[in-house]
This record gives sequence, structure tokens and C-alpha cells, in this order.
Amino acid sequence: MSPDSPIFGRKVLIVEDEMIVAWLLEDMLAELGCVVVGPAASVKQALAMIDAAPIEVAVLDVNLNGEMSYPVADALTARGVPFVFVTGYDKERMLDGYRALPVLQKPFHRSELTDTLAQLLASAEPGVV
Amino acid sequence: MVASEQDKSKEQKAAESEVESFRKDLGPFVVAAETTRMAMVFTDAKESNNPIIFANDSFLSLSGYDRNEVLGQSFDAFFGGHVEPAALAQIKATFADGSKNDLEICFHRKDGTSFWAAVFISPVRDKSGDVVQYFASFVDVTQHIQEKEHLRFLLAELNHRTQNTLATVQAIAVQTLRGAAAKEVVDAFEGRILALSKVHSLLGSQHWEAVSLREIIDRILQPFGLNDRRTVRFSVNGDDVRLRPKAALTLALVFQELATNAMKYGALSHGAVGKIDIAWQVEPSPQGERMRLRWRETGGPPVKPPSRKGFGSRLIEVGLAQDLDGEVHLTYDPAGLVCQITMPLPRQAAA
Repeated sequence: MSPDSPIFGRKVLIVEDEMIVAWLLEDMLAELGCVVVGPAASVKQALAMIDAAPIEVAVLDVNLNGEMSYPVADALTARGVPFVFVTGYDKERMLDGYRALPVLQKPFHRSELTDTLAQLLASAEPGVV
Repeated sequence: MVASEQDKSKEQKAAESEVESFRKDLGPFVVAAETTRMAMVFTDAKESNNPIIFANDSFLSLSGYDRNEVLGQSFDAFFGGHVEPAALAQIKATFADGSKNDLEICFHRKDGTSFWAAVFISPVRDKSGDVVQYFASFVDVTQHIQEKEHLRFLLAELNHRTQNTLATVQAIAVQTLRGAAAKEVVDAFEGRILALSKVHSLLGSQHWEAVSLREIIDRILQPFGLNDRRTVRFSVNGDDVRLRPKAALTLALVFQELATNAMKYGALSHGAVGKIDIAWQVEPSPQGERMRLRWRETGGPPVKPPSRKGFGSRLIEVGLAQDLDGEVHLTYDPAGLVCQITMPLPRQAAA
């Protein structure tokens, strides 16, 4: 992936409890030239990672082994970090306040991930808003 | 609204005398209505406030009220306190025309608990045809509704698990094949899994009944630039048709193969400025309706028949014909690949 891609070199947090899927995400993001933070497999781990290092954008599985990742979403929102939910659920199954946020339906192609992250980073860019 | 004791006793008395009068006329039917397990209520349509003049034991035990708390009450006032305003409006609309008689309403009992009831309403007319009473019956369908909801929940859960499983299959395959197979092979496999998942999600959202051809085309060809406004590569023409799940799955995989092939060798290949026309029409046949669909590529590099048949062309020529009980012709026209599909359609639901 070329360095002029809008997501090249950006720090991306992965929150995903299923290891094999997390590895695929890691590979996809590494191929795109991103710096991967995580993967975090639980809300607690994710919150610790958000506190420990600066993050520019996040990919957030909704259901972490039965635990919903909404507190992570809230923490990212509070810090102004854009993120996308990934889920095998219908949007309708998500909590009211989170349904309008960007969602990638599992499984997805790397091009869908690239497009979504590029959009998120572009709209979060100061001065572009 | 609570009627004063005096009013209530007066109204109750009127109601009782009304019941007495049809007890005389109808004898055994009144006994039947009183003792049946179906909850029933009669109102006096001649009075402007439509008071309840009869409520059987089943209605009382279902609603949790005593007879003297129900009789003489205006129907609107009594039911207005126990069902949602929208449900009351539906019941009243049924009073007015008697046509739409498949209401399911949620009724709140005296003790605050609630039940779902299927409501049937019918006017009772006298000899001259004037409406003198309304009859309303209630069947407790709470369990049925709960089972339906549970089923919907299970189906959503199953859809979710299917999507997660496909995501895992994608992850395992990509990681297993990396380094061991050409990138082209990994991409082809991933594309097929993703196509399968898209139709599954579409079918899941339609409760596995029927899905629209246009939606399938939309989802499958989206990653190939179907809706790219900068360069229009596709034209899609035909009145939308509904497809059975199996036909939907097979057609989706076929479009996936055709589009992948077009990316590699055909109208969408690197440097080509080709186009893909997808058009179909529905025509009658002795066995019901049939669809003729044509995928035609133009503007790509000159087409040669493949030296070897891969999974894609096998799926198209053999799989499609078998799964869809249809006919498929692939023509390697030098000007562009043409794929013609003829297949039976299920009876289309009226639009």
C-alpha cells in the first residue's frame, strides 16, 4: 500500500475477541501500512490500550465473548477518536444510541475496510470538517 | 372515569334488563355465551356511549374484573383504559366497517399484567337491518405471540452465527493459504465466501422466504463498481423478480464468477474501457413463468475460449443448470463474453 494512502502509517486499535478473525484484521491493516494497536479481546483490555497509547482510529467488534463493547465506544467518543463497529448482527440488534454509528457487516472485504477507515479519518481531520 | 354509585346502578340495571330480554329471545345461546371458554362482550349500539351490556365469565377471568365493574361502562372508556390508543382506534374502525377483523391487541389486566388477544368484532342487526349491538370476542394469543418472537430471535441469532462463522472461514482460509497459494487463488476464494455471506444476510433479513434479483445484483456487483458514478461500467435492465433462496444463492455465486472473470480477462480488466449489460425478461411457459437473463460484455480485450475449465465455468454451466433447473449458455464471442440463463420462476407475489 502506497504511503499516500490516507490510512498509511495511522495507528489503528483492533478490538476483537475471536483470535483468528483478529489476526486477519491485523494482516489486512498491516498490508494497508497501518500501525496496529492490540488486538484487545475484552472491554477491559481495550480501555487499558486506549489509556496507554495514542490511537487515531479503531475497529470495534460489538460482541466480545458476550460482553458488549459499548463502553469502549464511549471512551473513544470522549477522546474524539473515530471508530467503526464490526458485527455479524443486524444493525437493529444494537442499542439505540449506537445504531447510527458506522458499521461494517461481518464478513467484509479488505477494500470495504480501507474505504471505511479512510472516510473516518478524513471526516475526523481538523480543518476538513 | 368512574360513574357515581347511583348512575352505575342505574346503568347496570339497564344492562341487566337488556340481557334479560335476549335471554328470553335466545335462551340456550345465552347460556352458551356465558359458559364458553372464549371471552365475549356485547355492547348496546343504540346508546350513544356504546355501553357494555354483557360480559361472560371468561372475559371476567381474562381481564381480572368483576362483572359490576364492567357492565354499564362505555366500551371506549373501559377499553381505553386497558389498551393502547392506537389499538382502541383500530377496534373502533372495525366497529365502523366490520371489514378488517384480524386485530391483535395487548390488553392490560386490572392487576397490571397484560395479555395479547386476537379480537373479533361483529355487529348484531335487528330485523330491519339496523345495528343494535356489537359483539366482541377475545382469544388469548400471548403464548403464540411469545413463541413467534422467540422464533424471530432464534432466527436472528442463527443469521448472526452464520455470518460470524463465514468470517472465521474467511480468516482461516486467507491465513492458511497465504504463502502456499497464489494471491489470485486466495482472492478468488475470499470473493466466493463474501458473495455467499452477502446472500445469506439478504435471505436472513427476508426470513428465508424470497429475495429480489435486483438486490442480489446490487450486493454482489457493488465491489466491482456497480454504482461507480465516475465510470459507468454496468447497465441493469428488467422488472424486479422474487427468487427462491436456492436460486438466489446460486445466481449470486454465478454473478460473482462472471464479475471476477470480467475483472481478470473481460470488460472490467485492467486498461479496458468495457461495459457489462445485464438484462432480463419474464415470459410465460407451460410450467409457469420463466426468466431469460443475459449478461453481455463489450469493449474488453478479444475473448478466447478458456483452455481449461475452472470452478467458475463449471459452477456456471453445470451448477446453475442443475440447481436452478434452467439452461445456461456461455458464448465466447470475440467481442465479449455472453452468458444466457433461462430459469423457472416461483409464482410472484402480487406487488
